[in-house]
Amino acid sequence: MRAFSSLLLLAILPTSLAVKSQDFKTCSQAGFCRRGRALSARAQESQSWRSPYSVDPSSIAVSPEQASFVAAVKSSLYPDVKFSLDVRVHDDGVVRVRMDEVDGLRKRYDEAASWALIAEPTISPDVKWAVGKKELRATYGPKKDIEVVVSYDPLTVTLYRGGKPQVVLNGRGLLHMEHFRTKAASEEKAPVEAPAEDSQVVMQVNNRAWFEGEEEDGFWEEKFGSWTDSKPKGPESLFIDITFPKHGHVYGIPQHATNLDLPTTTGDDAHFSDPYRLFNADVFEYNADSPMSLYGSIPFMHAHSTESTVAIFNAVASESWIDIGHSSATSTETHWMSESGILDVFIMPGPTPTDVFAQYSRLTGAPALPAHWALAYHQCRWNYISSDDVREVQKRFDEEDMPVDVFWLDIEYAEEHKYFIWDKKTFPDPVDMSHDVEAIGRKMVVIIDPHLKRTEDYPVYKEAKDLDVLVKTPGGENNYEGWCWSGSSAWIDFFNPGSWDWWTSLFKTEPGETWSWTESTVDTYIWNDMNEPSIFNGPEISMPRDNIHHGGWEHRDVHNINGMLLHNLTAQAVMMRTDPPRRPFVLTRSFYAGSQRFGAMWTGDNLGTWEHMTAGVKMVLANNVGGFSFAGSDVGGFFGNPEPEMLVRWYGVGIFSPFFRAHAHIDTKRREPYLLDEPYKSILRSFLRLRYSLLPVWYTAFRETSVTGLPVLRPHWVMFPKDEGGFSLDDQYFVGSSGLLVKPITQKGVTETSVYLPEDQVYYDYFTYEAYRGAPKGKSVTVPAALDKVPFLIRGGSIVPTRERPRRSSVLMKHDPFTLRVALDTKGTAKGELYLDDGETFSHRDGKFIWREFVAGKQNKGLLIRSTDLAAQKPGEAVNGVALPTYNGANEFANDMATVRVERVVVFGLSAKPKSVQGGGKELHWEYTPGVASNTKKQGTASVLVIKDPGVGVSSDWEIVVQV
Amino acid sequence: MLWLLLALPIPALAGIEKTSGVPPSLLSRYQSPGSDSASWSCLNGSKSIPWSAVNDDYCDCPDGSDEPGTGACPNSMFYCRNEGHIGSLIPSTRVGDGLCEPECCDGSDERSGLCPNICKEVGEAYQKQQEAERKVRRTGSKIRAMYIAHARKEKNRLEGQITVAEAEIAVREKEVARLKDIADTAESLSEAAMEHKKESPLYKSLIEHSLALQSLQREHKQHLEREKALGDILDALRLGYNPNYQDMAVLEAVRGWEALAGLPHINDVRKEEGSTQSEGAVAQQEEEELEEGMWSTEQLDKELDKLLATDYDTLLIEHDKHIGAPAHDSLLFNLTAYMPDAFLPQYLALRDTVVSWLETFGIAKGIDGDESSDTSAARKAYQDAENTLKSVKKDLDKAQNELERLFDPEWYGPEGEWKKLDGTCLTKDTGEYTYEVCLFGEAKQKPNKGGSFQSLGKFTHWNNAPGVEPGSPEYYGKQHYERGSKCWNGPQRSVTVLMSCGTENALFTVAEPEKCEYQLTMTSPALCLPLSESEALRDEL
Repeated sequence: MRAFSSLLLLAILPTSLAVKSQDFKTCSQAGFCRRGRALSARAQESQSWRSPYSVDPSSIAVSPEQASFVAAVKSSLYPDVKFSLDVRVHDDGVVRVRMDEVDGLRKRYDEAASWALIAEPTISPDVKWAVGKKELRATYGPKKDIEVVVSYDPLTVTLYRGGKPQVVLNGRGLLHMEHFRTKAASEEKAPVEAPAEDSQVVMQVNNRAWFEGEEEDGFWEEKFGSWTDSKPKGPESLFIDITFPKHGHVYGIPQHATNLDLPTTTGDDAHFSDPYRLFNADVFEYNADSPMSLYGSIPFMHAHSTESTVAIFNAVASESWIDIGHSSATSTETHWMSESGILDVFIMPGPTPTDVFAQYSRLTGAPALPAHWALAYHQCRWNYISSDDVREVQKRFDEEDMPVDVFWLDIEYAEEHKYFIWDKKTFPDPVDMSHDVEAIGRKMVVIIDPHLKRTEDYPVYKEAKDLDVLVKTPGGENNYEGWCWSGSSAWIDFFNPGSWDWWTSLFKTEPGETWSWTESTVDTYIWNDMNEPSIFNGPEISMPRDNIHHGGWEHRDVHNINGMLLHNLTAQAVMMRTDPPRRPFVLTRSFYAGSQRFGAMWTGDNLGTWEHMTAGVKMVLANNVGGFSFAGSDVGGFFGNPEPEMLVRWYGVGIFSPFFRAHAHIDTKRREPYLLDEPYKSILRSFLRLRYSLLPVWYTAFRETSVTGLPVLRPHWVMFPKDEGGFSLDDQYFVGSSGLLVKPITQKGVTETSVYLPEDQVYYDYFTYEAYRGAPKGKSVTVPAALDKVPFLIRGGSIVPTRERPRRSSVLMKHDPFTLRVALDTKGTAKGELYLDDGETFSHRDGKFIWREFVAGKQNKGLLIRSTDLAAQKPGEAVNGVALPTYNGANEFANDMATVRVERVVVFGLSAKPKSVQGGGKELHWEYTPGVASNTKKQGTASVLVIKDPGVGVSSDWEIVVQV
Repeated sequence: MLWLLLALPIPALAGIEKTSGVPPSLLSRYQSPGSDSASWSCLNGSKSIPWSAVNDDYCDCPDGSDEPGTGACPNSMFYCRNEGHIGSLIPSTRVGDGLCEPECCDGSDERSGLCPNICKEVGEAYQKQQEAERKVRRTGSKIRAMYIAHARKEKNRLEGQITVAEAEIAVREKEVARLKDIADTAESLSEAAMEHKKESPLYKSLIEHSLALQSLQREHKQHLEREKALGDILDALRLGYNPNYQDMAVLEAVRGWEALAGLPHINDVRKEEGSTQSEGAVAQQEEEELEEGMWSTEQLDKELDKLLATDYDTLLIEHDKHIGAPAHDSLLFNLTAYMPDAFLPQYLALRDTVVSWLETFGIAKGIDGDESSDTSAARKAYQDAENTLKSVKKDLDKAQNELERLFDPEWYGPEGEWKKLDGTCLTKDTGEYTYEVCLFGEAKQKPNKGGSFQSLGKFTHWNNAPGVEPGSPEYYGKQHYERGSKCWNGPQRSVTVLMSCGTENALFTVAEPEKCEYQLTMTSPALCLPLSESEALRDEL
């Protein structure tokens, strides 16, 4: 009992000082979470706890393919209720475990995975289940070292590698699938206040209490604040414990504002008292360190140790709570509590982070390759108030020669917040305005939210109503009405296929038979906000759970997927409005597993505080390891007026985020970078220019993630899975495979900082060429971090391609020459890569791109720097979504790039002044500054060789020979 | 064919002239030192490079001066000759970016063939635009000249007013001095007697009551003001809050206020659409019945001041008389009782003189009169005279102030060109609101649907941005109005008026780029400087 009461005690402590946290449930305010935790507490107290669920061995049916089987499962608590188990091994070794109630009173929601997965996974042709007396066994893997064991009684599923358990389902016996029942039956069976003398009756009534508890707690109607959830289906929760016996660190399950290495929620010194919550919600002024749910949910968790990495994806769409504890420093116990849905867990066997990302992206898809311009700088504000305001902002950026690619319009462009409909008082000429922006190669992004103002003169609402594609009230008869920005509003039900073609047709810029957004341009892209959905007068600022979607599903069943559907369809709409299609850009606030296929996300309405700046870095990293790399937080903080120092630091964070957008609340002072005084203004200009110069690195990193699923931002544990010293680091990270290591400063008054170097390697300061030395077991070094600097190192062994001519927008850099930074490692070698295509169409899928590798290696005593064609070597791995059989080096895009030069090669860490530097048989112009060599142990400024204009093209094969 | 292309080294932009992009003023610095390999110095002297490295599309000089004609160096400038129009400098970031810059009509910023030379058309259009601007300036500057003439007249008028006022003040000051003398004398004589009377507990209590009442009145007035201010805030909240935000605290506040003030719920009013236009009058609170003798609110409002203005000294005398106290206890006459004998003869002589003197002025009446109350009458005559003097002095100050501001660059401009517009009110209807700016006065926002206006602030200063000199044309390009009514959840409202030359005084646009910070544009002839001789000449040609 002690464990349980201490939990209760924790639960009643004020969880945080977050503003309006009373608007959102704690675990103790959600009936099923309360029940789940109580179940866990009872299990912990009991000496003889045993899961009531078991497999009926007689029912096992192995499929003809051998890699999957189905079996009946029974619960000793309810012998009459039938469950089925379906376990299959995919061709990449991922194990999928599904359990559902069979012939129940109703049907549990079983479509979550179908929205998240890109396709039905292929069953392994090789794996065979061996049916034993106590268990089923499947052994596979390249070394035959993976074994999956399904034990019959009690039911457990365990994945072993090398004989060691890696992932265990129901190992703690917390699995519980609440079967459907009628309210009347429930009331009948409810324990009655029995007379003391008749203890026999009490015994009888409570024969399930050891597991389920004494009372039916929150089975039916539940209240929260002034809202009542009618819960017509009664209890239908799902609890499952998942243990990682060999892994002391878990990551993922975004979105939470907390450390990357997830802090505990159970155990003696639990960091949080509540479990992590996954329930997409519009949390006003959220807390910077909290397990509270935020705008998106990805139920994907990595478990990591120096020995291996595994992961699980729990495909459930209803509200879920996850407890995390470490019974020892090298193991992790998790407990997943969901309000509804079937059990559908994917076990990814790893064994490395790279393998896990590949396995996860084969399930839910790799991130889409974004348009090139989308990686540039985005300027947003709630609100640029008129078309002239937009023009003026553009003018000011150009006057100050600060690059920017995208101007954004928040909700005030729309007349009475009727999205698509311009407020002509302030935006009389929206198409002309967009064209003025596009004239400098820039784009517009305009907000489209999923709530529709309920007025007949709004064609979008009227058509949705006529098509009958709006979300319904309980019972499913009437269209639901709620309050949002546009006042009394209705919500499109994107689960209804009838809405799909209609929605995509709205974005056509050419007039057609039905209404479409002709007052728009094909360079106008979209921002989907409020898609949790956010409803001002709804429970927890969202939709009543008993609302009805297409197919009769309750909102509770689909809540966490809801936002992804809008994002999905808007991305399709934007792609389809041109022929040939162009890559879409759609920003979403709400997301789920699979959202990475549709565009970018941001961390929502953050605060202009140092704490939120710090949290933003962690959250973006968590999103990256959650498979959704195209992420960023609002630069400057959405709320508040950041002081100049804070704003500068925030841009330092932004330029090293995959998605880089400045945004501000309507109540804030304007804070566009040109408005700052010196020296801040010049620092911001140099930061923006740095981001633009590094766009080749970002784009190359995005190509990689779009094919491999490896995140764009890589925390230490992903880069160096065996270096324990880096497992909890979440304030510094690497950019793709480029070898660039960055540690943005998120504290006030900093002039230097400590950077952790995880290996015995040289790292060079990007700006000063200072050579820092790591150590085999990791070492921290002190790096200057004055306000005009972001601590930014190049790992020895990397070649970094950049474009260093500042332009007004990224499109205007298309034919600018490249600089290569060759950072020699301790062995005197380096390599890097560059991917380029037209940046906006899908012609790369037809082989129109260049993908180069640059290698610097020792030749005799000198150095040979070569450019080779990676695309020709690995055509099948070049492009997301298609495996090209061959690559034609004379493709249209490569021809367009034929005159684009490498204008400069900079080599760090040569051991001595070269005797000659030759390219194409001719001596080149070069300058050498003596300094520390890469292969020594010395600290100090590295030697720098600058080769001027070697006369080579970026898309051609070439060699430069440095004779030392 | 392609392998050929790839195998060839890729040349940098070949054949660019060394002086490409160099402005005329720097041409002499870009002279060939003799041969391609001979050394050339970066303009800031920081480095020597071979002459061949100038304009070779590679940035050698830290100051960027070796690449005037390419985009290779950041932060350098490129000169477009724009023959047929006006030459211009553009940032190097624009060179070779594939866009034809409007500032570079000869197309020299891009590779040849990309941008046509449109300097002829651009030049003509520019001339036309300049002509149009000059025309506006010519007309505007004539009006401006009238404003200046007005200022001169104003100067004369104010100077005249000042002269008159100064003369009047001299006369009045003498008069005040004389009356003060009389009042002081009367008071000094009766002081001791009055002091004694004032020892009366009744009088003391009366004064105490009076002071208490005054204090109460002061507090009451403050409360009324506060209540009105609170009411205004709550009215603004009630009319202006956004029900969509679903902020329960705001909703509570609105409902509470409606209950207190007896107003209908605003959402009902909104629904009924104006059927209750004057909703303030919907539920006037009923008058309470008053106990007999108690004052009504109206009496308190209007008559309390009068009551408090009572001359208590006079009252004291009257009181004495009323209860039959001896009439001759005035200290002036009874002082003999307290006087040391040695002083008596002199005193009595003086007394008679003084009394008779006072009598001749009608201030102190004979011993059967109300001499003490006459003392305050003397005081009153003096005070009235002094008030008149003060008012004349105030007028003088005002006139002097106006005169000072007339040609003050920080007020009406060095030529007084803005004086004419002092108090001129301009309006702009934006649909929902009408904005009004009374120049040098107050800016207001008035809802077109009715309701009270919001003050957007009062004139504080012209463009005070760093580096802008008072008196310069840029200085008069902006007016600031500040400390308007406070925004709910925001700052005090303020206005920046962006001004430019135009033939009429008019507001053109209204915007709210930040919450409660308004930006208005207006034109005024006061900003139209006369054409210079060369400019004027251009039109005649």
